[in-house]
Amino acid sequence: MNMKKLTAMLCLGAIVAIAGQSVIAAEKKAAPKAETANKVAAEPAAKSSENSGDKAAAESAIAAAESARKKAASIDGEWRDTGKMIKKAQAALKAGDSAKAIKLAKKAENQAKLGYEQAQAQQELKMPSYLKY
Amino acid sequence: MKNLPGKLLLLSVVSVIAVTAQAAQYETDKEAFENHFKGRFPDVVREEFANGVYAIDPIGRESWEAIEEFPPYELFVDDGKEMWDAPFANGKTYKDCFPDGPGIAHKYPHWDKEQGMVMTLPLALNQCRESQGEKPLKYKKGSINNILSYIAFESRGQVTDVVIPEDDPRALEAYENGKKFYYTKRGQLNFSCANCHVQNAGMKIRSDMLSTALGQTTHFPVYRSKWGTVGTLHRRFTGCNSQARAKPFKAQGEEYRNLEYFLTYMSNGLTLNGPGARK
Repeated sequence: MNMKKLTAMLCLGAIVAIAGQSVIAAEKKAAPKAETANKVAAEPAAKSSENSGDKAAAESAIAAAESARKKAASIDGEWRDTGKMIKKAQAALKAGDSAKAIKLAKKAENQAKLGYEQAQAQQELKMPSYLKY
Repeated sequence: MKNLPGKLLLLSVVSVIAVTAQAAQYETDKEAFENHFKGRFPDVVREEFANGVYAIDPIGRESWEAIEEFPPYELFVDDGKEMWDAPFANGKTYKDCFPDGPGIAHKYPHWDKEQGMVMTLPLALNQCRESQGEKPLKYKKGSINNILSYIAFESRGQVTDVVIPEDDPRALEAYENGKKFYYTKRGQLNFSCANCHVQNAGMKIRSDMLSTALGQTTHFPVYRSKWGTVGTLHRRFTGCNSQARAKPFKAQGEEYRNLEYFLTYMSNGLTLNGPGARK
């Protein structure tokens, strides 16, 4: 084999090797793309199910807040802003902001529970000590 | 069965003792109430408390006296007189409902045995209107304040004299409910009416001085600079509850009527000087 032939074979081999590598790399590169594509296709479904979960959670939080508010009101223990918070929570839910609705509803429920506890504690009239009988 | 008459007699005696003991309680309440303010403000003579916060706030009093030279409630009194004189659609007037009027503010609130409830002047005015086929007026804002201003003006000099009749236990119950309301802590700030106007009367809340509960009912309806108009006592109750961040009750509902009954009884003996002017 003369030197010319040897060089030509080596170059051909190198070209084949590089081409092979490129194909493998391209395949490797293509695989994640396909995975991403599959993932992207699956995401709206997941998000929609997550949203409906959030919506249900918000509805449940609002219902719990409203029930606690009514309980406090039944013994004259409702606070000024509890009802307003519930209305804001309902508006947030309507606007599609479930996270905000849940936050407001939980705050309202907490207020209502405190108002109920306060009114319970005040059921019996205790004359203050600063009034001397 | 033999001892039945004896048992009934014993039961009657026990009931009478119980009612008398309870009846005496409101007198004791008033004594404790007045003694508290006497102790807090020993230099203020009792009659001065009819001037509300200006009995204890000398700087505020100067402005108030200047305001009273050209009283901001004057136009409301004039409009109220027109209302009083104007015939209803059926030709009758308020005078047909209140023959002793217009100076009748000292007769309210009182216990209405027939209706089994505390009767306030605004409620009586609306019952009159309805009995004459007229629409009732709103209880916090609007023209009810005109006629209340006129009646208050014509009642100046009369003395607060709330009676709790002993022949109807429901009256005493209404008084007790009003008292309980006054001393009950409510709202996010956990304040009772008494926390501000008994315990801390005379203290500053921001730039304003807290008025004394004694004399709080003598000058209503009142022109408040903050409102820019005249408002009713129940509007003020609503504002107080709201400031403590409690949900206010309905004006002229049972809660506020009983509260008015208790609070006005506490000012018995003080002269009416409404309508008033306040910050």
